[in-house]
Amino acid sequence: MSFTGPGRYREESAKMLRDKPEMRHSVTQATRTFDDHRTHAFGQVDGERWRDWARDVKTHLLSNLDIYLEQAEESLERNGAHVHWAETGADALAILEKIVEDNDVKRVVKAKSMLSEELAINAHLESLGVSVFETDLGEYIIQLLGEPPSHIVGPAIHRSLDDCRRLFHEHFGTPLDAEPDALAAAARIALRQEFLAADLGISGGNFLAADTGTVALIENEGNIRLSTSLPRIHVAFVGIEKLVPTLGDVAGFVQLTTRSATGQPIGNYVSLIQGPRREDEPDGPEEVHVVLVDNGRTNLLADDTAWEALRCVRCGACLNICPVYRQTGGHAYGWPYSGPIGAIIAPGLLGLEKAMPLPHASSLCGACVDVCPVRIPIPEILVHWRERAVEEGLVPLAETVGLKAYTAAAERPVVFGAAGAALRYAPLELGGRALPILSGWMQERSAPKPSPKSFMQLWKEGLE
Amino acid sequence: MRVSLFATCLGNEFYADACADAVRLLRHFGVEVDVPEGQTCCGQPAFNSGHQDEARRMARHTHQVFAESEYVVLPSGSCAGMMRSFYPELLGTDDASVRSLTTRTYELAQFLVQVLGVDAPGTGLSGRVVAYHHGCHALRELGVRDEPVALLRGCGAEVIAWEADEECCGFGGLFSAKLPEVSAAMADRKLDTLPTVDLLTSADGGCLMQLSGRATHRGVGPPIRHLASVLWEGVGS
Amino acid sequence: MSMAEGPEGGGSEDRPRPHHNDRAGARARILGKVRDAITKRRREPHPGHFGGWRDQAPEDPVEQFIRLFKAAGGEVCRFDLRESASEWVRNFIGDYATVSLGTIARREAQHGARAVRIEHTDPADAEVGVSMAYGAVAETGSLIMIPQDGRRAQLLPPVHVVWVEERTVFPMLIDAMAALAKELPSAVGLHSGPSKSADIGQILVKGVHGPGRLIAVLVDDKGVQW
Repeated sequence: MSFTGPGRYREESAKMLRDKPEMRHSVTQATRTFDDHRTHAFGQVDGERWRDWARDVKTHLLSNLDIYLEQAEESLERNGAHVHWAETGADALAILEKIVEDNDVKRVVKAKSMLSEELAINAHLESLGVSVFETDLGEYIIQLLGEPPSHIVGPAIHRSLDDCRRLFHEHFGTPLDAEPDALAAAARIALRQEFLAADLGISGGNFLAADTGTVALIENEGNIRLSTSLPRIHVAFVGIEKLVPTLGDVAGFVQLTTRSATGQPIGNYVSLIQGPRREDEPDGPEEVHVVLVDNGRTNLLADDTAWEALRCVRCGACLNICPVYRQTGGHAYGWPYSGPIGAIIAPGLLGLEKAMPLPHASSLCGACVDVCPVRIPIPEILVHWRERAVEEGLVPLAETVGLKAYTAAAERPVVFGAAGAALRYAPLELGGRALPILSGWMQERSAPKPSPKSFMQLWKEGLE
Repeated sequence: MRVSLFATCLGNEFYADACADAVRLLRHFGVEVDVPEGQTCCGQPAFNSGHQDEARRMARHTHQVFAESEYVVLPSGSCAGMMRSFYPELLGTDDASVRSLTTRTYELAQFLVQVLGVDAPGTGLSGRVVAYHHGCHALRELGVRDEPVALLRGCGAEVIAWEADEECCGFGGLFSAKLPEVSAAMADRKLDTLPTVDLLTSADGGCLMQLSGRATHRGVGPPIRHLASVLWEGVGS
Repeated sequence: MSMAEGPEGGGSEDRPRPHHNDRAGARARILGKVRDAITKRRREPHPGHFGGWRDQAPEDPVEQFIRLFKAAGGEVCRFDLRESASEWVRNFIGDYATVSLGTIARREAQHGARAVRIEHTDPADAEVGVSMAYGAVAETGSLIMIPQDGRRAQLLPPVHVVWVEERTVFPMLIDAMAALAKELPSAVGLHSGPSKSADIGQILVKGVHGPGRLIAVLVDDKGVQW
């Protein structure tokens, strides 16, 4: 199974709810746990000021991005790293392909990276005859399952312990009642060989400090440190929005990100990578490549409302709190970035038409705003994309016609009242299913019962 | 003190009794109530679905209807949130009359507590176990969290904690019709985590319609009633 | 060879490579799009360093490090003599058949009266690794690992013992960053606990890829130059 694009969100979400109710349970449990930990962690610090600071640093960064991109390039090259620029996903893959061919790379280990999912790096490497292993335990599980990730931070949260037991039994012969420790040990042994044999390690980048040319990576398992330390070549794919001005800013952001993601003060491993190994260092990669990827990010940057979404640090807090995401998990969204953040960056990265209906995959409850560590006004950006969809004719005609008629009536109270009164004579129970907008409502719920008399009638008759 | 009641489109047609109870409550606390005849819809359904021109027309109409009101009170958190949070953006942030309207607009429970200072209005809910669903816009756009719970307790009800009490019910206006399956699952999460209670109440017609529509469809859940009616019973008149 | 050479350097390619040969073009186009996007907006100022977490009640940095490091699953031993720390480490690793010593740590294991030569095994085959930390961070409960000591010994053995001198415990991560920035090595690792994962059914397991046990040996030897 691979992603097919957001267009089938309604069908896929309905299918998920109908066919895989256990996934809804797993996702709800996992996201609630993440969010409980986040709440606890923010209770220990001055979270409000911290979030203001983080918003302002990223806003500063984005409003000076040209300067910082040039500075980051200069710093990285000074450190001995190679810097590449990828305008599109195809460019990024071509850059990787050239590195692979130039170095006769046969085996790749990969650290968890959402950008690498966006670029579909694994499929491309496999097409080149290169073996590629996901090394994050969650990513490894879904690679074995042949599934894409369903969550930015916890790629396999839609899978239960029993799912993993069956999977590992098939692949490694572990007992069907094996404890998680034993399953993890089987994965450790299998992947350890790959770490030691790999020619090239691939990572993303949580942050890139422009002043020092530092790629910062946060994790808990050690697989990122191993992927970036053992193979002879390290390639880091970094979205251009991942820059921060200074290494000092990284100090604030790694803590904020882990507190938001899992509630930890910091990930158990943070890698700060400047470039290839030096003479006084006994080991480490001989080549470090940093690929700066646009792939639609400048489209978001150019949008006067949606640019704020580029502040995102991919902590997943908005997914964890989102009541819409919790019902289905991420697969229904049809591309790697799910939940509220996925819905607001999809129109920039994929184009609005391809991103539909994700801007509508929200009840606008606003819970995400309460938790976003960089204060992205998510509901405002959702409504903005909905407006653009109306302008570009990407909403059903019935909706547009219906709302125009409704608005015309709302400006004429007598007409509005008469239309309301009609509800009492043509009950929704009978007619609702025929109306395009109401048929969906009626499919899942009993029809609302109009009051016997409207309030205006009651008022005119006189209230006791 | 004079209050103009804005019943809202949903309230007028589907929760007429609750709107009437809102009038009774306000009068009970000594407020003179009027109901401007021209009122229709605040424009929220259009605004939230991206039809900004239509939303602006409805906002302009509503602004004209209530421009002279001393206070505007709505038995709906989301419509009050729409007027307070988004009318300036739609009608012009430098329009003093629009800005003034936003500061005079209140959700019912918010008005009772913040403006009238009501705290222990009666004993009519003694012995009743009640769950309160926080409508998202009352909670997050208006910051109304404690007021409705305090009023229910002030009427003698036992308001019990509920793990999903601040989660969205899945209504979301057109969302519930565009993505009905996910919307219904959201309502199910609310209903399935609800402890045993005598009744479930909320301050938003949309949420009530969603929750009761789903509860009836599945044949589950306690009676679901609008906060205005529950409070009117609570003052014990 | 760097891609930075672009079309000039790659002229002898026999297959057409429309994308990656145009490094200068891609760079210019991305920077151009960025400038087009932001030119209509104000360039916002940097808010300065965030000092908010300094408002918390002051806690002794070493105590704070120990508290957080333990909370993340790390183990701690404290010594006020360098020799006793050396001896403890020698005893500890004596229980394992194979030991890997970091380049710097190798020196530190030799202190004390009963110093013996320790057989060094490649980290990939060692049961325990011993490293020397550059320092530690109180605020996050982190050990600061530098590559001069060897990264493989920090990551491959299932048990990892790390020497750290108490006077190198920085109160804040930003302080540590400032110190490191003066002479940044190629890669720094902050290790704040054992390797762990909850990717299998949300249940915590340790030692997934990195060491499942992480032991900080804190030394507060004021009499001896480190």
